[in-house]
Amino acid sequence: MRLSGKLGQEQIVFALAVLLCLVFSVTLPGFLTGNNILNLLRSVSILGILGIAMGIVVIGRGIDLSLVSLMAISVGWMLNMAGSGMPLPMALMLALGFSLLVGAINGWLVAYAEIPAIFATLAMGTLIYGFGRYFLIDLEVAYLQGSAEVLSWIGQGSLLGVPVPIYAFALICALGHLFLRYAVAGRYLRAVGDNLAAARITGLPARPVIVQQYVISALIGFCAGIVTAAAVSSMNTRLALSTYVYDVILVVVLGGIGLSGGRGGIRNVIVGTLLIGVLLNGMTILNIQYTLQSVIKGSLLLLAIVADSLLNPRDEQTAQQGDI
Amino acid sequence: MSPIVELREATKEYRGVAAVREMTFTLERGEVHALLGENGAGKSTLTKMIAGVVRPTRGALFINGAPVVLSSPSEALAQGIAMVYQETSLVPSLTVAQNIYLADSRRFHRLRGIYIAGQQFLQSLNFHVNPTALISELGAGQKQMVEIARAVHHQAQVIIFDEPTATLTPEEKHQFFALVARLKARGVSVVFISHALEEALAIADRITIMRDGEHVVTDHVSAFTRESIVRAMVGRSLSDALYAESGSKKARKAGEKVLSVQNLSMGSMVRNTSFSLFAGQITGVFGLIGSGRTEAAKVIAGVAKRDLFHGGQIRLGGRDVRYRVPRPAVRDGIIYVTEDRKAEGFFETMSIAENIHLGAMAGGQTRSQRVSMEEMRSIAAEWTEALKVRAINSDARVIELSGGNQQKVVIAKALVQKPRLVIFDEPTRGVDVGAIAEIHHIIEGLADAGIAVMVISSYLPEILQLSDRILVCRQGRIVEEFEGHRTDAETIMYAAVH
Repeated sequence: MRLSGKLGQEQIVFALAVLLCLVFSVTLPGFLTGNNILNLLRSVSILGILGIAMGIVVIGRGIDLSLVSLMAISVGWMLNMAGSGMPLPMALMLALGFSLLVGAINGWLVAYAEIPAIFATLAMGTLIYGFGRYFLIDLEVAYLQGSAEVLSWIGQGSLLGVPVPIYAFALICALGHLFLRYAVAGRYLRAVGDNLAAARITGLPARPVIVQQYVISALIGFCAGIVTAAAVSSMNTRLALSTYVYDVILVVVLGGIGLSGGRGGIRNVIVGTLLIGVLLNGMTILNIQYTLQSVIKGSLLLLAIVADSLLNPRDEQTAQQGDI
Repeated sequence: MSPIVELREATKEYRGVAAVREMTFTLERGEVHALLGENGAGKSTLTKMIAGVVRPTRGALFINGAPVVLSSPSEALAQGIAMVYQETSLVPSLTVAQNIYLADSRRFHRLRGIYIAGQQFLQSLNFHVNPTALISELGAGQKQMVEIARAVHHQAQVIIFDEPTATLTPEEKHQFFALVARLKARGVSVVFISHALEEALAIADRITIMRDGEHVVTDHVSAFTRESIVRAMVGRSLSDALYAESGSKKARKAGEKVLSVQNLSMGSMVRNTSFSLFAGQITGVFGLIGSGRTEAAKVIAGVAKRDLFHGGQIRLGGRDVRYRVPRPAVRDGIIYVTEDRKAEGFFETMSIAENIHLGAMAGGQTRSQRVSMEEMRSIAAEWTEALKVRAINSDARVIELSGGNQQKVVIAKALVQKPRLVIFDEPTRGVDVGAIAEIHHIIEGLADAGIAVMVISSYLPEILQLSDRILVCRQGRIVEEFEGHRTDAETIMYAAVH
């Protein structure tokens, strides 16, 4: 008997997004045009890609606060190297290797040193920014130049009239979905997120699975960084210090991936991304200022969580129906 | 005079499913009333209605003959009704005395004051608990004492115990029964839920038996026997099958030595323990809680954290092993079936099929890096069938099953890994009577199939029923070994407590 359970947070958020769409298309001229819809999707595709990375970590009962920081520094470093004459494949490989290494260290800290993920990745984010700015990148903003210029198609080009970043988002969604649903490693990840102790006792390689989830997060973050750099022809390393990573968490939590792990999937990230996309786009057309947008985003998040907990109470009574 | 508590025609539904149906229950002043029934019979729900934790969907509650509506446990407490839970509701980071005086009407306490008052109060109850100790440092039995002390402190006229003796050692049980007698002498009414029928027969004045959310019978204790209770609980007679005379069966012959443990040590929990396990035999390990039996098993299976392992030798089929994590142990065929299935047994967001299939994947029974849905379904179908897991289908989530079926899923998840040695830690804790027999049957089947089986239990009838060989554990050591069918409960208990 889980009738009301069918209407989870994902459905609520999806309904909200549709509702907002309807309201905007009636009240805002120019909202429901092909161009604007593509524009809307393009503008949230990077947020969505990062959301997939964060979502995978959160499903594994972790969190990656170093995601944006690592993305900015590793891609910034790559642009720097490519700009100073290094062949692109070489620069790509080095930066990607750096990114994966940091992801593995994150995972090691969480899985083997048993530091809570929130502290380990918070510290790592700060460390990476400082390290990158001191040793790797001279200027605050690294520009897309030299051999890296060929990348700009990824951010600015379009295929069959659809901007390439949307394809990138779709591709990573598809890969993420296949991973979580059909790969043994993805199944393990969900099991570890659901119940680490049980996963251990069952004989799953629990700690390697945790390391793997941070490496995946770093990998997807790197892809998001490439799309970002290509779209605006640069990478601003100050992004590492911004609150952007909280927007990513917003997307994940709004979509209904519980921070307690094991629950949710890629669909949730897509739904969360769509709502944020519609909202941001509408508010931009309405010319609402940034600070007020924050108020609206924050309220929406609280609303979604409260609605979910009202519709799906998670108290002892309903949680242990076998025990009545 | 009207009864102190009366629940009339009460029904409680969770999402349209009745957990308790049209139940009438009366509690007289100063009586000890045992509430018996299988898991899922609705005992907890019934008592929660009385204690204000849940409100009846239909029906009425009367206290001292007056109708009341309780919307929270604190309102019930104000009416003199306290409930002592199975999982304790104490604050672990506070001291004993702070917990006792926690919900007091006075807002501020001097620590010294409550320590002195707490000391006197605990002594008056004959509880040997240090009032300045932190709750987190106490054992299960002592926590229970603090819970009870808190209820008594609140002048409760009705105290409801939800499986009070499940976690207690025999000595503590003894004290608990003495306390119940004293509470009764003070005119307090006691309701207690239990799975231990002997206890109910020994201390209750009246017994109520429930089945499937409905009232079966209420009568004076003298009207019942063990058999009649079991019959009423399950609606069929299975006590013969369940706890048959252990002498009537033949002990299995020991096969080859699968595992030998020499001088195993782990902190103060396991000291210099040595024993062996043989193929095709059930080795029962009896010991009181805290005797180091679970810890020893966890070291063997690699479940214990590696820094806790202090020394000794474990040999598996002639080869030295020392597992730091469970995975290599599982791959070598040593499987530990946990005593705490909710915390470390199953995956609650996943279906029955996914749970069992995860066991197969972890045990190396599947080769591909892709999850095959057909393979998952066939493995799940095979094992739910073999273990008689009762669920609508194997896509049901494990969390929604009854305790017995959850345990069967956990066992299926272990057996699918093709073990050589299975360690069952309290295999029937929180499992209903019907499922106990089935789980015992599964365990015996394993031994008959030539697998080495170790069963850890603090329930003597279970040990006597299952074991071919019995090891008794005390203070971290194996102190005695018995032939399973040439001993009796008293001998074993004597070895375990002295």
